[in-house]
Amino acid sequence: MNEHSIREVVIVGGGTAGWMAAAALSRFLNNGYTRVTLIESEEIGTIGVGEATIPPLIAFNSLLGINENEFMKATQATFKLGIEFVNWGGVGDRYFHPFGSMGQDLQGLPFHQLYLRERARRVMPDITEWAMTAVAASRGKFARPGREAQFPLNQLNYAFHFDAGLYARFLRNFAEAGGVRRVEGRIVDVQLNDETGFVESVKLSDGQSIAGELFIDCSGFRGLLIEQALETGYEDWTHWLPCDRAIAVPSKLSGLAEPFTRSTAHSSGWQWRIPLQHRMGNGHVYSSAHISDEDAQRVLLDNLEGEPLAEPRRLSFTTGRRKMAWNRNVVSLGLSSGFVEPLESTSIHLVQAGIARLINVFPDRRFNPLERDEYNRNMKKGFEWVRDFIILHYKATKRDDSEFWKRCRSIDIPAELSERIEHFRNKGRIFAEGVELFPVTSWVAVMMGQHIVPEDYDPVVDGLDVDKVAGAMEQLRTAYLDMAERLPTMSEFIANCCAAPKPAEPREFAL
Amino acid sequence: MRTDLIEKVVIVGGGTAGWMTAAAMAKVLGNMPGLQIELVESDEIGTVGVGEATIPQINLFNALLGLDEREFVRATNATYKLGIEFRDWTRIGHKYVHPFGFYGLDMLGIEFHHHWLKGQALGDPHPLDEYSLGVVAGMKGRFAHPRPDLPNSPLSRIAYAFQFDAALYAKYLRGLAENGGVRRTEGRIVDVLQNGQTGFIEAVTLQDGREIAGDLFLDCSGFRGLLIEQKLGAGFEDWSKWLPCDRAMAVPCELSDDQQPLTRSTARPAGWQWRIPLQHRTGNGYVYSSAHVSDDEAAETLLANLDGKALADPRPLRFLAGHRRKAWVKNVVAIGLAGGFLEPLESTSIHLIQTGIARLMTWFPTRSFDEVQIDRYNQLTVQEYVDIRDFLVLHYSATERDDSDFWNYCRTLEPPDSLANKIDIFRRTGRVIREHEELFTETSWLAVMVGQGIRAEAYHPVADVLPDAETLSRLNHIREVVASTAASMPMQRDYLNDAGMASGTVMAASA
Repeated sequence: MNEHSIREVVIVGGGTAGWMAAAALSRFLNNGYTRVTLIESEEIGTIGVGEATIPPLIAFNSLLGINENEFMKATQATFKLGIEFVNWGGVGDRYFHPFGSMGQDLQGLPFHQLYLRERARRVMPDITEWAMTAVAASRGKFARPGREAQFPLNQLNYAFHFDAGLYARFLRNFAEAGGVRRVEGRIVDVQLNDETGFVESVKLSDGQSIAGELFIDCSGFRGLLIEQALETGYEDWTHWLPCDRAIAVPSKLSGLAEPFTRSTAHSSGWQWRIPLQHRMGNGHVYSSAHISDEDAQRVLLDNLEGEPLAEPRRLSFTTGRRKMAWNRNVVSLGLSSGFVEPLESTSIHLVQAGIARLINVFPDRRFNPLERDEYNRNMKKGFEWVRDFIILHYKATKRDDSEFWKRCRSIDIPAELSERIEHFRNKGRIFAEGVELFPVTSWVAVMMGQHIVPEDYDPVVDGLDVDKVAGAMEQLRTAYLDMAERLPTMSEFIANCCAAPKPAEPREFAL
Repeated sequence: MRTDLIEKVVIVGGGTAGWMTAAAMAKVLGNMPGLQIELVESDEIGTVGVGEATIPQINLFNALLGLDEREFVRATNATYKLGIEFRDWTRIGHKYVHPFGFYGLDMLGIEFHHHWLKGQALGDPHPLDEYSLGVVAGMKGRFAHPRPDLPNSPLSRIAYAFQFDAALYAKYLRGLAENGGVRRTEGRIVDVLQNGQTGFIEAVTLQDGREIAGDLFLDCSGFRGLLIEQKLGAGFEDWSKWLPCDRAMAVPCELSDDQQPLTRSTARPAGWQWRIPLQHRTGNGYVYSSAHVSDDEAAETLLANLDGKALADPRPLRFLAGHRRKAWVKNVVAIGLAGGFLEPLESTSIHLIQTGIARLMTWFPTRSFDEVQIDRYNQLTVQEYVDIRDFLVLHYSATERDDSDFWNYCRTLEPPDSLANKIDIFRRTGRVIREHEELFTETSWLAVMVGQGIRAEAYHPVADVLPDAETLSRLNHIREVVASTAASMPMQRDYLNDAGMASGTVMAASA
């Protein structure tokens, strides 16, 4: 500790983002002098819809020392091996975006290039037959690969589906046990320093004032500090991603929960389907310019597999990002920092990435702009990667059956994305930067799934013997299949290790 | 087909009473050939609608209208209600709950309370409250719907009502009524046209000169009784001798952490204070006797006893306890405050509207307006008021309080004969009687008589069929089952959130 060290961190808002930040900071600022306070109001509810994640969440959990089974029990969680996309490339189409890698690279050449050459020679099964996750997912199978897992089980990368409301509750317990102070109250005023414009304190409706040196804005879309107080500005991406509303509703499970998220494209948007242990989470993301709220709700309810368990909830949003995720002494996390539709389950990841980056460049009370700039550059890049990957799903489609899809097909896409698509179309190449969120597998799976067909494969592949490669590929495919057959179903696996306790039936009078 | 059918119903006034009536009539009579329903209200005239608490019978009304409970709860910012907590009524520092639902378990063909009385005689110290699931769960802030599938569980018969924002309720019902074909006319009534011979109301004239004619007029104009009193002089039966409170001061305040599914009534030196926690704020009011306290002092007492910041200036209301001698005169039926007023100590205002409507449906007239049915309607209405009055007076008369002139007046007042008789029977025999299908059940009478400190000197002799030890062990078992059932119920706040009934929710990160 020195005279410049931050002593008071104040987190504003207690949804998923707020409690994730609180939990992480309770672990990393456990230094004896930094106090973390989280302010939330019971009056402002959060919506616990089903929540899907991507594999890096495992790293977040283990950083925090969270026991995965305990976490799953507490949040009604299931495992997730990827996303099934229905009706995206064209009506009636179906493809799988698997987690983990596909096949094995050979002599530095990516597997999909070997596949492309084989496909040029003969009729091939779908490339996802070389993804351990896809093969297991299509059979409802799952097992957790241990640290020592061998090929091919070590390719079974996974993430989770869970109840977001329960997740926030779980993290709240964790954070409070780690010393985070929770203050109940509604913020009615924000006090800025006259000279620096830094946030000095927030005032609650009961008159209490809470001062801090670093504020973390997790107040949701409105951005209570980052926007309402600091007027940071918002970059609107609606011209690329026209969806601006969602309706969510949970429903009864109609069968065994499956280890994947499903996204089904509709005429003016798409519907998510997230199986949890106790219910299915569903939602319709749509463009209000192309369908009314009432019709969107009807589409959602008509496409449920089980009866709805709650009143559908509506929300509206503007896709885009806060121009500076970190402004003065305010760091925004979660919806206050931006929103990209949950098509690739990136909401929680962006929170997690923000927290990790903040810890990497944690400031002191002098707030050196270097740290802020580094953070902002990083978050901007993170948001843009997600944005471009999402745009790909809308742009690369054969659908022309509605105004919505005609518009999506015809939009001008960011230059970087258009180059990626051209490289893939040309020789199937994906030039992914080292730290990018979505690995080569993801780009390949979605591009091929959405009918971007490479005209040729990478000529370097011709240096490899055709027959040997074909034989190896066949062996790989069999290995994945055999492994999948041997795995337990996800339901069996969950029942054995991480089933949420069933609510006990109430005791009865025995007289 | 008969030729004297009512063809036009005019509802005068659009507060809670007006719109409840309109919605119900549209539902039940909407298909009567040639029947038109028109509601006249003026935006210039405010409605009394403060935060409203209800009793379980509201569920019958909602079912009649075919309301979706989840949608209704969300639309009106409603909370659940398992009973009413009375503080300081018996003596300062004392409290008890009047629960909906039942106590314990009836055994040997006699009511539970006889076994409880026997237990008390044997020295068992546990109060009646501990045998009611509604009380135990309510005090802990917990709520769950009844489970009729578990007949031996106390949850099978838990009974509930709602607390909601009356203005939102009226708005919600207005939507239903207008969808059901009710025509709404905006305008202030300046004149009423009466037939010179019969005295029947023929039409009302609006400020802009429009005349609205009708066959049947429903007076929902509030205290003043625009038609029933000002035109038809029905007369008012003044009960202020028994119920001296004649004013109220109402103010909403911010929620506190303490959000039980209970209405609270706290006795004050010159009346009592209500506390009705809704989802977004708490409704409060001081009902008092102007002969015993000044308005300023009442406002001061009220403001000093809020559990959060006041959200408005206190609003004064004046009233007179009693009822219109005839609720139905000629072709006018008074519903709501136009028909009478009883202080909201047992949340009967909305119920009286509801039963007025139900009775009107039962006795729905033709244009011949047969006196026989009008007399019957009036007789039943008066009986209902008398029954409720007796129950209210019980709270004031059975008290030990002697700390103010107000309480000395109430305690020493000779109760109505019907009430005195009921108290006497309970005191001497332990029997609780419920007469002619009166609103308040044996459970209610028992709760308040016991709560107000009336001791029964005897119990049903059949209770002695059980050996003393067996009685005590059964009482013990019942308490345990009630306590463990309550502990298994979710907190109301979580329950509302999880079922999508929370109002004003903002979306946290989704999928």
